[in-house]
Amino acid sequence: METMQRYVSPVNPAVFPHLATVLLIIGTFFTAWFFIFVVSRNKQSKESTLIKELLISLCASIFLGFGILFLLLTVGIYV
Amino acid sequence: MSVDVGSAGGATAKAKSVLTWEKQEHLVKLAILILAAVLSFATRLFSVLRFESVIHEFDPYFNYRTTRFLAEQGFYKFHNWFDDRAWYPLGRIIGGTIYPGLMVTSAALYRIMWLLNITVDIRNVCVFLAPFFSSLTTLVTYALTKEIHSTGAGLVAAALISIVPGYISRSVAGSYDNEGIAIFCMLFTYYLWIKAVKSGTIFWSAMSALAYFYMVSSWGGYVFLINLIPLHVLALMFTGRFSHRIYIAYSTLYCVGTILSMQISFVGFQPIQSSEHMLALGVFGLCQIHAFVDYLRSRMPKEHFDVLFKTLVSSVLTVVLLLGTVLTITGKVSPWTGRFYSLLDPSYAKNHIPIIASVSEHQPTSWSSFYFDLQILVFLFPAGLYFCFSKLTDANIFIILYGVTSIYFAGVMVRLMLVLAPVMCVLSGIAISHLLAKYIKSVDAVAPKPTESKRQHKKLELQSGGVKSEVAIGFVTTITLMLVVYTFHCTWVTSEAYSSPSIVLSARSHDGGRIIFDDFREAYYWLQMNTPEDARIMSWWDYGYQITAMANRTILVDNNTWNNTHISRVGQAMASSEEKAYEIMRELDVDYVLVIFGGLTGYSSDDINKFLWMVRIGGSTDRGAHIKEKDYYAANGEFRVDKEGSPTLLNCLMYKMCYYRFGQMYTEGGKAPGYDRVRAAEIGNKDFELDVLEEAYTTEHWLVRIYKVKDLPNRGG
Amino acid sequence: MNWNCLYLAIISCLLLLNSVKAEIINKNVERYLDLSSQLVKTTIKINAEDSAGVPIKEYVFTAKEANIAYISAKDALNNDLKLRKEQSNDDQRFVLTFEKALPKQTIQIETVSVGNVKPYPEEIKQNEKQLVKYAGLLYLYSKYKTVTQKTQIKLSSSNIISYTQVKPFSVSSNKIILGPYENIKALSDEQLAIHYENQTPFLTVNSLERTIEVSHWGNIAVKESIEMIHSGAKLKGSFSRYDFQKDGRQSGQSAVKSYRTYLPASATGVYYRDMNGNISTSNMNVQRDFIDLELRPRFPLFGGWKTQYILGYNVPSYEYLFSAGKNYQLKMRLIDHVHDNMAIDKAVINVILPEGSSNIELMTPYSIKRRQNEFIYTYLDTTGRPMISFSRSNLVENHISDFTLKYTFSRVSLLQEPFLLIGFIYFIFILTIIFLRLDFSIVSYHHNKSE
Repeated sequence: METMQRYVSPVNPAVFPHLATVLLIIGTFFTAWFFIFVVSRNKQSKESTLIKELLISLCASIFLGFGILFLLLTVGIYV
Repeated sequence: MSVDVGSAGGATAKAKSVLTWEKQEHLVKLAILILAAVLSFATRLFSVLRFESVIHEFDPYFNYRTTRFLAEQGFYKFHNWFDDRAWYPLGRIIGGTIYPGLMVTSAALYRIMWLLNITVDIRNVCVFLAPFFSSLTTLVTYALTKEIHSTGAGLVAAALISIVPGYISRSVAGSYDNEGIAIFCMLFTYYLWIKAVKSGTIFWSAMSALAYFYMVSSWGGYVFLINLIPLHVLALMFTGRFSHRIYIAYSTLYCVGTILSMQISFVGFQPIQSSEHMLALGVFGLCQIHAFVDYLRSRMPKEHFDVLFKTLVSSVLTVVLLLGTVLTITGKVSPWTGRFYSLLDPSYAKNHIPIIASVSEHQPTSWSSFYFDLQILVFLFPAGLYFCFSKLTDANIFIILYGVTSIYFAGVMVRLMLVLAPVMCVLSGIAISHLLAKYIKSVDAVAPKPTESKRQHKKLELQSGGVKSEVAIGFVTTITLMLVVYTFHCTWVTSEAYSSPSIVLSARSHDGGRIIFDDFREAYYWLQMNTPEDARIMSWWDYGYQITAMANRTILVDNNTWNNTHISRVGQAMASSEEKAYEIMRELDVDYVLVIFGGLTGYSSDDINKFLWMVRIGGSTDRGAHIKEKDYYAANGEFRVDKEGSPTLLNCLMYKMCYYRFGQMYTEGGKAPGYDRVRAAEIGNKDFELDVLEEAYTTEHWLVRIYKVKDLPNRGG
Repeated sequence: MNWNCLYLAIISCLLLLNSVKAEIINKNVERYLDLSSQLVKTTIKINAEDSAGVPIKEYVFTAKEANIAYISAKDALNNDLKLRKEQSNDDQRFVLTFEKALPKQTIQIETVSVGNVKPYPEEIKQNEKQLVKYAGLLYLYSKYKTVTQKTQIKLSSSNIISYTQVKPFSVSSNKIILGPYENIKALSDEQLAIHYENQTPFLTVNSLERTIEVSHWGNIAVKESIEMIHSGAKLKGSFSRYDFQKDGRQSGQSAVKSYRTYLPASATGVYYRDMNGNISTSNMNVQRDFIDLELRPRFPLFGGWKTQYILGYNVPSYEYLFSAGKNYQLKMRLIDHVHDNMAIDKAVINVILPEGSSNIELMTPYSIKRRQNEFIYTYLDTTGRPMISFSRSNLVENHISDFTLKYTFSRVSLLQEPFLLIGFIYFIFILTIIFLRLDFSIVSYHHNKSE
């Protein structure tokens, strides 16, 4: 017991809302980029853009994922 | 709203250098749609944010209770559910007497979420279902308007419908009613129908039949839909626009849709029996004949065809007429029901059926409420109609018909404002988009070339619609201003009129703070906690659903007013003297009686103000023949509770229950004790004791009073 | 085992017979009975000595009172004594073992019992006062002889209807002093009955379910769902709101309008609700080291009336959670304060640990009944969160103390939830990409064009 430390969250709960906002905005930005990219893609040249699409969507999902996580934490759903 | 669109526009301007036109268009479209959908969800959350996430209207408590049952017990049990908590001693077969669409939708959502380990409460699903569906409605409105007119009109219509008060009134968070999802179903069916008409494929018409099925399962208003679509077909026939596309679309929709709709046990065989559905059937027949005639015409010489046509028409007409009369007389086709008449003739129900007239949402709509609920849409609607007329297509005819019929029905019944609101938005969307598209060109076109020669200028003007730039700027500004005002109006209406819960009342105190009257829940919770599990509670039917849902006790009558005599019996008990009422209450096995009383707080829709309806409904059956409305009026013909009031009123059960011991209470400074703040009168009968009842509970602000019915007195020996 | 017991019994019987000379006597006994609430709190000071001067190693305390919820014993130096419980026919025996065997011992025993102050009459009208009856023993029930003893009784009011009068006794306002009595035989059970006015809230918590959910994102959520009944004199006849409002002091004195509950000082996001939603009537006062919450039930609780509610709040994890590497230790109150002088019939405590916790080890301050461990599936869970569940009945305020729960949890598991989300979203994106690359038309577009 004596050797144990008080446990604090890896991220300060006070910054949850800010973190959620920032991450979600970045995530939405990437998502928008992705959709514009995908929707207005030229139908003929398929393969050349695949890597780019995957990369953009990966970025989007990472930011959105963490954004949603912190959003949940902000609203009181402690996962 | 306008700000949101503006910011989207700003984003576009920045991205102009990077993105092509097509990309920009996608982005703007997506942004506007998403914003409109989010907005329509968010604007309905006033009541949840101000109070809490609960169902806060009276009627939806029934839907909530049945949904809870469905979510817990499964569909099969739900379907066979005999509810002994309501309509004691009759009970009610829930599965066969409701439109299950709403409950099934939320229970399905609930199950899916639990499957994904999203452990939300069923209550929250119910609370947020209506806003969620309004978001979907926004998207569907876009799709529908896009099909009818153009993408631009679709976007405007989507933005308009997201905040139109006429629709919000029925779909705020916490009002968990059939209408919340029905409007989505209706518009979705229309969208698919237009698609079917335009394409003439079985796929789209089958889809629209499925959507129609969903609509039937969720709201009784499907009758409007199944009359409107045949009307559309009929109109197309008369205008000579009938084609194979329409034949395929309607035949498929009618056959599949009717068979599907008959699967809902509450609907049953109505689609082929009741007169409300006859138009659809008739048009279906007519379609076949029309197609057949077309076929014959293409195969026959003209003279032969004319002879054949005349004989066929006359014989068919006589046969149909004969059949119709025979079926109506034998009762196979249900005669015109009261609700149908009251649709056509606003005064019908009021004169014939007191229980229909007593519901405020069945009253005719006033002009002010049109403006209140729709604002500028009222003025843009004719413009939209004009633009539709000016360029008639199959789809346009549909929206014209929809607009015209629904504005008539909305005028008949306040409640049907809901059906009108979407078409108002669609037509206004068309009008605004049309006008803006016309004028905004002129704003832009002149600006870069200010020093052109006059002739060229004129040419340019002609090209751009013949409007001067100043006029165009002025016009665009006006429209923008109108839209901004619309936004403010909608938000104001939503926040002030449609977001005040009725289970929690709030008032302003003298010092400006908010006082909350949470008396309803107090009383219902008391009932749930401190009365026997099988206690039977008598109250006026308005509170029936709430009592079963929140107090979980058996009640005699509820908001599903299907049995007039039973309600009348309760009305008789309330309107009779104590001894008479005791007999009725013994007969009905009543344990507790609940009344709503606003005399202390000034809550005006209490039982004393509803009392005349109880008298009327009570007196409308044979057993209540002794109850006459005029006995309850004072000598001068007024309804009063003070000393002048009629002795019958001052000694009836309802009066005594409401005012028991109220005579000693000081309610307002400077007034005598027993001053009723709603009726603004000092009550007439103050000192009395109850013989057959005893006060069981009264809430903090006296809003709800519960009495226990005493047992029969013991006889000596 | 059985044989051993029998031997012991025989030996002790022999000892008893033999110890005419060397026996323990209670030299002086002082009892304090606190009857001012619904609980009977007894403090007994015993000066025991051995008549022959033999050092006393063990002392047997016999309790005849029913429903003893809590008992503790201390010696002269205020150290806790070991208590061993022995059940005999109708009374409970507690064997106290001293650390040092001395011929003279001072013992201080505290007991709290529930349900021995009973409303009498059992039903009262709204404007009547609640009278209660206490039935106990006039003397300390002991297997040893007592030389002198005195009993002080504290009541809730000076309105005493009747009480057992054995001289010498004295009464001053709400206190009764009985005794000193001398030379009382062992195992004497003279009855003591006091009939007096007691208006303090008679609230019994029928069931308490306390759920503690630990999140390693820095939060511990506590939720208590409570069923409560007013166990005092039942309300007879009608309830009149007019009387209740007009004259709060005269009418419905025994009714519970509100009560206080204490939460940890760091509690945030407090909610107080029931099945029908939020209960909007409560006041929160933040004190220095606790939060004082005044809870008002939806309706005033009269005798026999019930209510149910849920009270919940969040506390930051650093208050109760300790860590060293992968090992974690949760130290929290097993039950918390519900209301003053509370009596809990049954409490169930659930502790939900984050997903992926293992090697769970529970240590409690007193004996509890373990229940089946379960897995809870909620937001973003895959394998489920382990839930440790245990129960105990008959609890009072003295039982508020900490339990310790040890477990191991690897920090990497924290990232499981975000990665789940990321994976899910990425999956949707990939579906979109695939969907847009597929051509669903039966006749290919190019083919059509070339025709």
